[in-house]
Amino acid sequence: MLCDDCKNRPASIFFKEVLPDKTVELNLCEECASKRGLLGAKKLTPIEVMHKLLKQKGAQDEKVICPGCYMSLAEFKRVGRFGCAQCVATFDEHIRHFIKQIHQSDRHVGRKSQAGTKKGFEIYRLREDLKKALDSEAYEEAAKIRDKLKNYGIKDV
Amino acid sequence: MFDNIRWLTASSDKTLPCGEESEIVVSSRIRVARNIESIPFELKMKQPDAEYLIGLIHSIIDGKIRGDFHDLKDLKPLERESLLECHLVSPGFTKKEKPTSVFINEGGNVSLMVNEEDHLRFQGIGCGLNFSGLSSEVFRMDEFIGDNVDYAFSERYGFITSCPTNIGTGMRASIFMHLPGLVFTNEVEKVLKGAMQIGMTVRGIYGEGSEIRGSLFQISNQHTIGFKEEELLERITKLAKMIIDVENKARDVILTKARSEFEDKIFRSLAILKAARTIDSTEVLNLLSALRFGVGAGIVKDITLQTLNEIMVVSRPANIQLYFGELLEEHERDIKRAEYIRKRLGAG
Repeated sequence: MLCDDCKNRPASIFFKEVLPDKTVELNLCEECASKRGLLGAKKLTPIEVMHKLLKQKGAQDEKVICPGCYMSLAEFKRVGRFGCAQCVATFDEHIRHFIKQIHQSDRHVGRKSQAGTKKGFEIYRLREDLKKALDSEAYEEAAKIRDKLKNYGIKDV
Repeated sequence: MFDNIRWLTASSDKTLPCGEESEIVVSSRIRVARNIESIPFELKMKQPDAEYLIGLIHSIIDGKIRGDFHDLKDLKPLERESLLECHLVSPGFTKKEKPTSVFINEGGNVSLMVNEEDHLRFQGIGCGLNFSGLSSEVFRMDEFIGDNVDYAFSERYGFITSCPTNIGTGMRASIFMHLPGLVFTNEVEKVLKGAMQIGMTVRGIYGEGSEIRGSLFQISNQHTIGFKEEELLERITKLAKMIIDVENKARDVILTKARSEFEDKIFRSLAILKAARTIDSTEVLNLLSALRFGVGAGIVKDITLQTLNEIMVVSRPANIQLYFGELLEEHERDIKRAEYIRKRLGAG
Protein backbone atom coordinates (compact mmCIF):
# COMPACT_ATOMS: atom_id res chain seq x y z
CA MET A 1 0.00 0.00 0.00
CA LEU A 2 1.33 3.44 -0.94
CA CYS A 3 1.40 6.46 1.34
CA ASP A 4 -1.82 8.54 1.10
CA ASP A 5 0.18 11.79 1.08
CA CYS A 6 3.14 11.32 -1.27
CA LYS A 7 1.62 8.36 -3.18
CA ASN A 8 5.18 7.26 -3.71
CA ARG A 9 6.70 5.49 -0.75
CA PRO A 10 5.08 2.43 0.87
CA ALA A 11 2.82 3.24 3.81
CA SER A 12 4.14 1.88 7.07
CA ILE A 13 2.10 3.88 9.57
CA PHE A 14 -1.59 3.41 9.96
CA PHE A 15 -3.21 6.42 11.61
CA LYS A 16 -6.76 6.49 12.88
CA GLU A 17 -8.40 9.37 14.71
CA VAL A 18 -11.93 9.13 16.02
CA LEU A 19 -13.53 12.57 16.12
CA PRO A 20 -17.06 13.26 17.39
CA ASP A 21 -18.48 13.62 13.86
CA LYS A 22 -16.17 11.48 11.75
CA THR A 23 -13.27 9.07 11.70
CA VAL A 24 -10.06 9.97 9.90
CA GLU A 25 -7.98 7.10 8.61
CA LEU A 26 -4.62 7.57 6.94
CA ASN A 27 -1.94 5.26 5.64
CA LEU A 28 1.36 7.11 5.65
CA CYS A 29 5.04 6.57 5.14
CA GLU A 30 7.31 7.55 7.99
CA GLU A 31 8.45 10.77 6.33
CA CYS A 32 4.94 12.07 5.60
CA ALA A 33 3.71 11.03 9.07
CA SER A 34 6.56 13.03 10.50
CA LYS A 35 5.64 16.04 8.30
CA ARG A 36 2.11 15.94 9.70
CA GLY A 37 3.60 15.99 13.18
CA LEU A 38 2.27 12.54 14.01
CA LEU A 39 5.63 11.21 15.01
CA GLY A 40 6.71 14.48 16.57
CA ALA A 41 7.51 14.89 20.21
CA LYS A 42 7.55 11.77 22.30
CA LYS A 43 4.23 11.35 24.03
CA LEU A 44 4.63 11.78 27.77
CA THR A 45 3.58 8.89 29.99
CA PRO A 46 1.01 9.54 32.75
CA ILE A 47 3.78 9.52 35.35
CA GLU A 48 5.79 12.10 33.38
CA VAL A 49 2.68 14.27 32.96
CA MET A 50 2.00 14.00 36.67
CA HIS A 51 5.50 15.07 37.67
CA LYS A 52 5.32 18.03 35.31
CA LEU A 53 1.99 19.14 36.77
CA LEU A 54 3.11 18.68 40.37
CA LYS A 55 5.70 21.40 39.82
CA GLN A 56 2.97 24.03 39.39
CA LYS A 57 2.76 25.62 42.82
CA GLY A 58 -0.21 27.68 44.05
CA ALA A 59 -0.33 30.39 46.72
CA GLN A 60 -2.89 28.42 48.75
CA ASP A 61 -1.08 25.09 48.67
CA GLU A 62 0.00 25.17 52.33
CA LYS A 63 -3.49 26.17 53.48
CA VAL A 64 -5.53 23.45 51.83
CA ILE A 65 -5.34 20.61 54.35
CA CYS A 66 -7.04 17.22 54.29
CA PRO A 67 -9.05 16.67 57.51
CA GLY A 68 -8.50 12.91 57.27
CA CYS A 69 -4.72 12.72 57.32
CA TYR A 70 -3.58 16.37 57.62
CA MET A 71 -1.84 16.25 54.27
CA SER A 72 -1.58 19.70 52.71
CA LEU A 73 -1.93 20.30 49.01
CA ALA A 74 1.73 21.41 49.09
CA GLU A 75 2.76 18.07 50.54
CA PHE A 76 0.67 16.24 47.93
CA LYS A 77 2.52 18.16 45.23
CA ARG A 78 5.86 17.22 46.76
CA VAL A 79 5.14 13.51 47.02
CA GLY A 80 2.54 12.86 44.31
CA ARG A 81 0.59 10.50 46.56
CA PHE A 82 -2.70 10.79 48.42
CA GLY A 83 -2.55 10.27 52.18
CA CYS A 84 -6.05 8.90 52.70
CA ALA A 85 -9.46 8.41 51.11
CA GLN A 86 -10.51 11.98 51.97
CA CYS A 87 -7.64 13.71 50.15
CA VAL A 88 -9.37 13.45 46.80
CA ALA A 89 -12.51 15.28 47.96
CA THR A 90 -10.39 17.87 49.80
CA PHE A 91 -8.15 18.63 46.84
CA ASP A 92 -10.91 18.10 44.26
CA GLU A 93 -10.99 21.55 42.67
CA HIS A 94 -7.18 21.69 42.53
CA ILE A 95 -6.67 18.26 41.01
CA ARG A 96 -9.55 17.90 38.57
CA HIS A 97 -7.59 19.34 35.64
CA PHE A 98 -4.61 17.40 36.84
CA ILE A 99 -6.37 14.00 36.68
CA LYS A 100 -7.76 14.99 33.31
CA GLN A 101 -4.33 15.78 31.90
CA ILE A 102 -2.83 12.58 33.22
CA HIS A 103 -5.61 10.30 32.00
CA GLN A 104 -7.45 12.38 29.37
CA SER A 105 -10.55 11.85 31.49
CA ASP A 106 -11.70 12.71 34.99
CA ARG A 107 -14.86 10.62 35.01
CA HIS A 108 -14.94 7.10 36.32
CA VAL A 109 -17.26 4.89 34.29
CA GLY A 110 -16.13 1.47 35.50
CA ARG A 111 -17.16 -0.81 38.32
CA LYS A 112 -18.67 0.68 41.46
CA SER A 113 -17.76 -0.05 45.02
CA GLN A 114 -19.95 -2.92 46.21
CA ALA A 115 -22.67 -1.98 48.65
CA GLY A 116 -22.27 -5.03 50.86
CA THR A 117 -22.98 -5.48 54.52
CA LYS A 118 -19.44 -4.38 55.38
CA LYS A 119 -19.19 -6.61 58.40
CA GLY A 120 -15.47 -7.18 58.05
CA PHE A 121 -14.38 -4.50 60.49
CA GLU A 122 -16.95 -5.54 63.07
CA ILE A 123 -16.01 -9.22 62.90
CA TYR A 124 -12.36 -8.38 63.18
CA ARG A 125 -12.98 -6.12 66.18
CA LEU A 126 -15.07 -8.80 67.89
CA ARG A 127 -12.36 -11.39 67.37
CA GLU A 128 -9.76 -9.10 68.91
CA ASP A 129 -12.13 -8.45 71.85
CA LEU A 130 -12.66 -12.19 72.21
CA LYS A 131 -8.93 -12.79 72.40
CA LYS A 132 -8.57 -10.11 75.08
CA ALA A 133 -11.52 -11.49 77.06
CA LEU A 134 -10.08 -15.01 76.98
CA ASP A 135 -6.63 -13.75 77.93
CA SER A 136 -8.06 -11.99 80.97
CA GLU A 137 -10.26 -15.00 81.76
CA ALA A 138 -13.45 -12.92 81.41
CA TYR A 139 -15.42 -15.93 80.23
CA GLU A 140 -18.84 -14.40 80.54
CA GLU A 141 -17.79 -11.53 78.32
CA ALA A 142 -16.18 -14.02 75.93
CA ALA A 143 -19.41 -16.01 75.66
CA LYS A 144 -21.32 -12.84 74.73
CA ILE A 145 -18.81 -11.98 72.02
CA ARG A 146 -18.98 -15.53 70.73
CA ASP A 147 -22.74 -15.24 70.41
CA LYS A 148 -22.36 -12.03 68.43
CA LEU A 149 -19.88 -13.69 66.11
CA LYS A 150 -22.26 -16.61 65.67
CA ASN A 151 -24.94 -14.13 64.68
CA TYR A 152 -22.65 -13.13 61.84
CA GLY A 153 -22.64 -16.73 60.73
CA ILE A 154 -19.10 -17.37 62.00
CA LYS A 155 -19.10 -20.92 63.33
CA ASP A 156 -15.44 -21.43 63.98
CA VAL A 157 -14.89 -18.66 66.53
CA MET B 1 8.15 -23.99 45.83
CA PHE B 2 7.64 -24.82 42.17
CA ASP B 3 4.04 -24.52 43.01
CA ASN B 4 4.76 -20.83 42.37
CA ILE B 5 4.68 -21.40 38.63
CA ARG B 6 1.49 -23.45 38.41
CA TRP B 7 -0.07 -20.55 36.48
CA LEU B 8 2.68 -20.60 33.89
CA THR B 9 2.85 -24.29 33.21
CA ALA B 10 -0.92 -24.77 33.56
CA SER B 11 0.03 -27.99 35.32
CA SER B 12 -2.73 -28.03 37.93
CA ASP B 13 -6.41 -28.63 37.35
CA LYS B 14 -7.10 -25.81 39.83
CA THR B 15 -5.50 -23.22 37.60
CA LEU B 16 -6.70 -21.72 34.33
CA PRO B 17 -5.68 -23.52 31.15
CA CYS B 18 -3.31 -21.63 28.89
CA GLY B 19 -5.02 -18.89 26.86
CA GLU B 20 -4.74 -18.28 23.13
CA GLU B 21 -1.54 -17.56 21.22
CA SER B 22 0.62 -18.83 24.03
CA GLU B 23 3.74 -18.97 21.89
CA ILE B 24 3.75 -15.20 21.23
CA VAL B 25 1.85 -14.08 24.33
CA VAL B 26 3.86 -15.64 27.14
CA SER B 27 1.51 -14.35 29.82
CA SER B 28 -1.35 -11.96 30.58
CA ARG B 29 -1.69 -10.17 33.86
CA ILE B 30 -4.33 -8.00 35.52
CA ARG B 31 -3.75 -6.07 38.67
CA VAL B 32 -6.37 -4.12 40.57
CA ALA B 33 -5.59 -1.57 43.28
CA ARG B 34 -7.95 -0.97 46.21
CA ASN B 35 -7.75 0.95 49.47
CA ILE B 36 -9.88 0.79 52.59
CA GLU B 37 -11.85 3.95 53.35
CA SER B 38 -11.04 4.27 57.04
CA ILE B 39 -7.34 3.33 57.04
CA PRO B 40 -4.64 5.89 56.16
CA PHE B 41 -2.90 5.19 52.85
CA GLU B 42 0.69 3.98 52.60
CA LEU B 43 2.26 7.39 53.09
CA LYS B 44 0.40 8.20 56.31
CA MET B 45 0.07 4.68 57.58
CA LYS B 46 1.66 3.68 60.88
CA GLN B 47 2.94 0.22 61.79
CA PRO B 48 -0.20 -0.70 63.83
CA ASP B 49 -2.41 0.30 60.85
CA ALA B 50 -0.42 -2.03 58.63
CA GLU B 51 -0.71 -4.87 61.15
CA TYR B 52 -4.41 -4.19 61.60
CA LEU B 53 -5.00 -4.36 57.85
CA ILE B 54 -3.21 -7.69 57.55
CA GLY B 55 -5.25 -9.09 60.45
CA LEU B 56 -8.44 -7.77 58.90
CA ILE B 57 -7.81 -9.37 55.51
CA HIS B 58 -6.79 -12.66 57.15
CA SER B 59 -10.03 -12.68 59.11
CA ILE B 60 -12.14 -11.88 56.04
CA ILE B 61 -10.61 -14.58 53.86
CA ASP B 62 -10.31 -17.06 56.75
CA GLY B 63 -10.57 -20.23 54.69
CA LYS B 64 -13.51 -18.94 52.66
CA ILE B 65 -11.23 -18.66 49.65
CA ARG B 66 -8.84 -21.56 49.33
CA GLY B 67 -5.20 -20.62 49.34
CA ASP B 68 -2.32 -19.58 51.58
CA PHE B 69 -1.11 -16.43 53.28
CA HIS B 70 2.59 -15.69 53.47
CA ASP B 71 3.77 -12.91 55.76
CA LEU B 72 6.85 -11.63 53.99
CA LYS B 73 8.84 -11.19 57.18
CA ASP B 74 8.52 -14.94 57.81
CA LEU B 75 9.99 -15.86 54.44
CA LYS B 76 13.66 -16.40 53.73
CA PRO B 77 15.19 -13.80 51.35
CA LEU B 78 15.38 -16.46 48.62
CA GLU B 79 11.71 -17.33 49.02
CA ARG B 80 10.76 -13.67 48.77
CA GLU B 81 12.88 -13.27 45.67
CA SER B 82 11.30 -16.37 44.18
CA LEU B 83 7.77 -14.95 44.56
CA LEU B 84 9.04 -11.99 42.56
CA GLU B 85 10.74 -14.12 39.90
CA CYS B 86 7.51 -16.10 39.55
CA HIS B 87 5.62 -12.78 39.08
CA LEU B 88 3.35 -13.37 42.07
CA VAL B 89 4.41 -10.16 43.84
CA SER B 90 5.71 -6.81 42.58
CA PRO B 91 9.33 -5.67 42.93
CA GLY B 92 8.35 -2.83 45.28
CA PHE B 93 6.42 -5.20 47.52
CA THR B 94 9.46 -7.25 48.53
CA LYS B 95 11.29 -4.10 49.63
CA LYS B 96 8.64 -2.59 51.93
CA GLU B 97 9.69 -1.92 55.50
CA LYS B 98 6.13 -2.15 56.82
CA PRO B 99 4.55 -5.54 57.55
CA THR B 100 3.34 -7.08 54.30
CA SER B 101 1.46 -10.23 53.50
CA VAL B 102 0.49 -11.98 50.31
CA PHE B 103 -2.41 -14.37 49.80
CA ILE B 104 -2.07 -16.82 46.91
CA ASN B 105 -5.16 -18.74 45.82
CA GLU B 106 -5.37 -22.49 45.42
CA GLY B 107 -4.75 -22.33 41.68
CA GLY B 108 -1.61 -20.23 42.22
CA ASN B 109 -2.81 -17.71 39.64
CA VAL B 110 -4.46 -15.00 41.74
CA SER B 111 -2.58 -13.22 44.48
CA LEU B 112 -3.51 -10.44 46.87
CA MET B 113 -0.72 -8.24 48.16
CA VAL B 114 -1.56 -6.49 51.42
CA ASN B 115 0.31 -3.22 52.14
CA GLU B 116 1.76 -2.66 48.72
CA GLU B 117 1.68 0.98 47.51
CA ASP B 118 -2.09 0.55 47.88
CA HIS B 119 -3.66 -1.34 50.77
CA LEU B 120 -4.67 -4.15 48.44
CA ARG B 121 -3.30 -5.18 45.10
CA PHE B 122 -5.14 -8.08 43.50
CA GLN B 123 -3.27 -9.74 40.71
CA GLY B 124 -4.25 -12.45 38.28
CA ILE B 125 -1.73 -14.02 35.95
CA GLY B 126 -1.96 -16.75 33.36
CA CYS B 127 -0.17 -18.08 30.31
CA GLY B 128 -1.30 -17.02 26.86
CA LEU B 129 -3.85 -14.34 26.04
CA ASN B 130 -6.67 -14.82 28.51
CA PHE B 131 -8.13 -11.68 30.02
CA SER B 132 -11.69 -12.87 30.29
CA GLY B 133 -10.83 -15.89 32.45
CA LEU B 134 -8.41 -13.88 34.55
CA SER B 135 -10.62 -10.87 35.11
CA SER B 136 -13.50 -12.94 36.42
CA GLU B 137 -11.19 -14.61 38.95
CA VAL B 138 -9.61 -11.32 40.04
CA PHE B 139 -12.89 -9.44 40.38
CA ARG B 140 -14.48 -12.33 42.24
CA MET B 141 -11.82 -11.97 44.94
CA ASP B 142 -12.10 -8.17 44.82
CA GLU B 143 -15.88 -8.34 45.29
CA PHE B 144 -15.55 -10.80 48.13
CA ILE B 145 -13.31 -8.40 50.04
CA GLY B 146 -15.44 -5.42 48.95
CA ASP B 147 -18.50 -7.05 50.50
CA ASN B 148 -16.78 -6.94 53.86
CA VAL B 149 -15.09 -3.54 53.94
CA ASP B 150 -15.73 -0.08 52.52
CA TYR B 151 -13.32 0.67 49.73
CA ALA B 152 -12.09 4.24 49.21
CA PHE B 153 -14.38 5.23 46.36
CA SER B 154 -15.58 8.48 44.81
CA GLU B 155 -18.52 8.70 42.42
CA ARG B 156 -16.53 10.99 40.16
CA TYR B 157 -13.06 9.49 40.34
CA GLY B 158 -13.86 5.86 41.07
CA PHE B 159 -11.55 3.79 43.26
CA ILE B 160 -9.11 6.08 45.02
CA THR B 161 -5.53 4.93 44.86
CA SER B 162 -2.40 6.12 46.54
CA CYS B 163 -0.97 7.39 43.24
CA PRO B 164 -3.18 9.49 40.90
CA THR B 165 -1.90 7.50 37.92
CA ASN B 166 -3.93 4.47 39.08
CA ILE B 167 -7.18 6.21 40.03
CA GLY B 168 -10.54 5.13 38.60
CA THR B 169 -10.64 1.45 37.82
CA GLY B 170 -7.34 0.91 39.64
CA MET B 171 -6.74 -1.65 36.94
CA ARG B 172 -3.63 -2.29 34.95
CA ALA B 173 -3.65 -5.07 32.38
CA SER B 174 -0.46 -6.24 30.77
CA ILE B 175 0.74 -8.74 28.25
CA PHE B 176 4.18 -10.19 28.10
CA MET B 177 5.03 -10.83 24.43
CA HIS B 178 7.78 -12.72 22.63
CA LEU B 179 8.56 -10.87 19.40
CA PRO B 180 11.70 -12.28 17.76
CA GLY B 181 10.31 -11.79 14.24
CA LEU B 182 9.85 -8.06 14.72
CA VAL B 183 13.17 -7.73 16.52
CA PHE B 184 14.98 -9.48 13.69
CA THR B 185 13.29 -7.50 10.91
CA ASN B 186 13.98 -4.27 12.83
CA GLU B 187 10.31 -3.42 12.94
CA VAL B 188 9.77 -3.79 16.62
CA GLU B 189 10.47 -0.17 17.49
CA LYS B 190 7.93 1.08 14.98
CA VAL B 191 5.23 -1.28 16.21
CA LEU B 192 5.87 -0.45 19.83
CA LYS B 193 5.94 3.30 19.16
CA GLY B 194 2.50 2.87 17.61
CA ALA B 195 1.31 1.14 20.78
CA MET B 196 2.53 4.08 22.85
CA GLN B 197 0.62 6.50 20.64
CA ILE B 198 -2.62 4.76 21.57
CA GLY B 199 -2.06 4.99 25.31
CA MET B 200 -0.09 1.87 26.08
CA THR B 201 3.20 1.58 27.93
CA VAL B 202 5.79 -0.66 26.34
CA ARG B 203 9.01 -1.81 27.86
CA GLY B 204 11.54 -4.55 27.39
CA ILE B 205 11.50 -7.14 30.11
CA TYR B 206 14.78 -8.25 31.59
CA GLY B 207 17.41 -5.71 30.66
CA GLU B 208 17.21 -1.93 30.54
CA GLY B 209 16.85 0.48 27.61
CA SER B 210 17.98 -0.83 24.28
CA GLU B 211 19.39 -4.03 25.69
CA ILE B 212 16.27 -6.14 25.33
CA ARG B 213 16.90 -9.71 26.35
CA GLY B 214 15.14 -12.66 24.84
CA SER B 215 12.94 -10.49 22.55
CA LEU B 216 10.49 -10.14 25.43
CA PHE B 217 8.27 -7.08 25.81
CA GLN B 218 5.59 -5.98 28.19
CA ILE B 219 2.65 -3.88 27.05
CA SER B 220 0.19 -2.35 29.50
CA ASN B 221 -2.56 0.28 29.61
CA GLN B 222 -1.48 3.75 30.74
CA HIS B 223 -4.87 5.19 31.58
CA THR B 224 -7.04 3.85 34.35
CA ILE B 225 -10.00 6.26 34.30
CA GLY B 226 -12.57 7.10 31.64
CA PHE B 227 -12.94 3.53 30.41
CA LYS B 228 -14.84 0.54 31.69
CA GLU B 229 -12.65 -2.36 32.79
CA GLU B 230 -13.94 -4.49 29.91
CA GLU B 231 -13.13 -1.72 27.42
CA LEU B 232 -9.57 -1.49 28.69
CA LEU B 233 -9.18 -5.25 28.39
CA GLU B 234 -10.73 -5.24 24.94
CA ARG B 235 -8.35 -2.51 23.75
CA ILE B 236 -5.28 -4.32 24.93
CA THR B 237 -6.52 -7.64 23.51
CA LYS B 238 -7.13 -5.97 20.14
CA LEU B 239 -3.66 -4.46 20.21
CA ALA B 240 -2.16 -7.83 21.16
CA LYS B 241 -3.90 -9.43 18.19
CA MET B 242 -2.59 -6.75 15.84
CA ILE B 243 0.94 -7.25 17.12
CA ILE B 244 0.57 -11.05 16.83
CA ASP B 245 -0.48 -10.54 13.24
CA VAL B 246 2.57 -8.44 12.31
CA GLU B 247 4.86 -10.73 14.29
CA ASN B 248 3.56 -13.73 12.34
CA LYS B 249 4.10 -11.89 9.07
CA ALA B 250 7.66 -11.03 10.07
CA ARG B 251 8.28 -14.69 10.93
CA ASP B 252 6.91 -15.78 7.56
CA VAL B 253 9.32 -13.39 5.86
CA ILE B 254 12.25 -14.72 7.88
CA LEU B 255 11.36 -18.33 7.21
CA THR B 256 10.83 -17.73 3.52
CA LYS B 257 14.01 -15.76 3.00
CA ALA B 258 16.41 -17.44 5.37
CA ARG B 259 14.95 -20.72 6.53
CA SER B 260 18.21 -22.64 6.70
CA GLU B 261 19.99 -19.90 8.63
CA PHE B 262 17.14 -19.76 11.12
CA GLU B 263 16.85 -23.49 11.49
CA ASP B 264 20.57 -23.49 12.14
CA LYS B 265 20.20 -20.80 14.82
CA ILE B 266 17.33 -22.69 16.47
CA PHE B 267 19.08 -26.06 16.54
CA ARG B 268 22.36 -24.54 17.69
CA SER B 269 20.48 -22.91 20.55
CA LEU B 270 18.93 -26.24 21.44
CA ALA B 271 22.32 -27.92 21.25
CA ILE B 272 23.90 -25.37 23.60
CA LEU B 273 21.07 -25.68 26.12
CA LYS B 274 21.36 -29.46 26.01
CA ALA B 275 25.13 -29.51 26.34
CA ALA B 276 26.29 -26.46 28.30
CA ARG B 277 28.12 -27.08 31.58
CA THR B 278 27.79 -23.49 32.80
CA ILE B 279 25.35 -20.83 31.63
CA ASP B 280 24.13 -17.43 32.89
CA SER B 281 20.50 -16.32 32.89
CA THR B 282 20.89 -13.78 30.05
CA GLU B 283 22.24 -16.43 27.72
CA VAL B 284 19.38 -18.73 28.72
CA LEU B 285 16.82 -16.06 27.81
CA ASN B 286 18.36 -15.48 24.40
CA LEU B 287 18.67 -19.19 23.59
CA LEU B 288 15.15 -19.87 24.83
CA SER B 289 13.89 -17.14 22.52
CA ALA B 290 15.30 -18.92 19.47
CA LEU B 291 13.97 -22.24 20.71
CA ARG B 292 10.52 -20.80 21.40
CA PHE B 293 10.47 -19.50 17.85
CA GLY B 294 11.40 -22.99 16.64
CA VAL B 295 8.65 -24.65 18.69
CA GLY B 296 6.12 -22.07 17.49
CA ALA B 297 7.05 -22.64 13.85
CA GLY B 298 6.85 -26.42 14.28
CA ILE B 299 10.57 -26.76 13.54
CA VAL B 300 11.32 -28.25 16.96
CA LYS B 301 8.73 -30.90 17.69
CA ASP B 302 9.57 -32.76 20.86
CA ILE B 303 9.63 -29.81 23.29
CA THR B 304 6.52 -28.12 24.64
CA LEU B 305 5.97 -24.44 25.39
CA GLN B 306 5.21 -25.44 28.99
CA THR B 307 8.72 -26.83 29.31
CA LEU B 308 10.21 -23.63 27.90
CA ASN B 309 8.03 -21.51 30.24
CA GLU B 310 9.20 -23.56 33.16
CA ILE B 311 12.89 -23.26 32.21
CA MET B 312 12.54 -19.51 31.72
CA VAL B 313 11.31 -19.00 35.29
CA VAL B 314 13.09 -21.78 37.18
CA SER B 315 16.48 -20.73 35.79
CA ARG B 316 16.20 -17.28 37.40
CA PRO B 317 18.80 -16.72 40.14
CA ALA B 318 16.68 -17.27 43.29
CA ASN B 319 14.55 -20.02 41.79
CA ILE B 320 17.52 -22.10 40.70
CA GLN B 321 18.87 -22.00 44.27
CA LEU B 322 15.50 -23.03 45.69
CA TYR B 323 15.25 -25.78 43.09
CA PHE B 324 18.50 -27.30 44.34
CA GLY B 325 17.74 -26.35 47.94
CA GLU B 326 21.07 -24.64 48.55
CA LEU B 327 22.60 -21.18 48.60
CA LEU B 328 24.84 -20.81 45.57
CA GLU B 329 27.45 -18.27 44.48
CA GLU B 330 27.01 -16.83 41.01
CA HIS B 331 29.41 -19.22 39.25
CA GLU B 332 27.90 -22.20 41.10
CA ARG B 333 24.46 -21.06 40.00
CA ASP B 334 25.62 -21.04 36.38
CA ILE B 335 26.79 -24.63 36.73
CA LYS B 336 23.60 -25.78 38.46
CA ARG B 337 21.44 -23.88 35.96
CA ALA B 338 23.12 -25.73 33.09
CA GLU B 339 22.61 -29.01 34.94
CA TYR B 340 18.90 -28.30 35.51
CA ILE B 341 18.31 -27.31 31.87
CA ARG B 342 20.09 -30.42 30.53
CA LYS B 343 17.93 -32.55 32.76
CA ARG B 344 14.75 -30.72 31.78
CA LEU B 345 15.52 -31.13 28.07
CA GLY B 346 16.21 -34.79 28.60
CA ALA B 347 19.93 -34.53 27.85
CA GLY B 348 21.12 -35.88 31.21
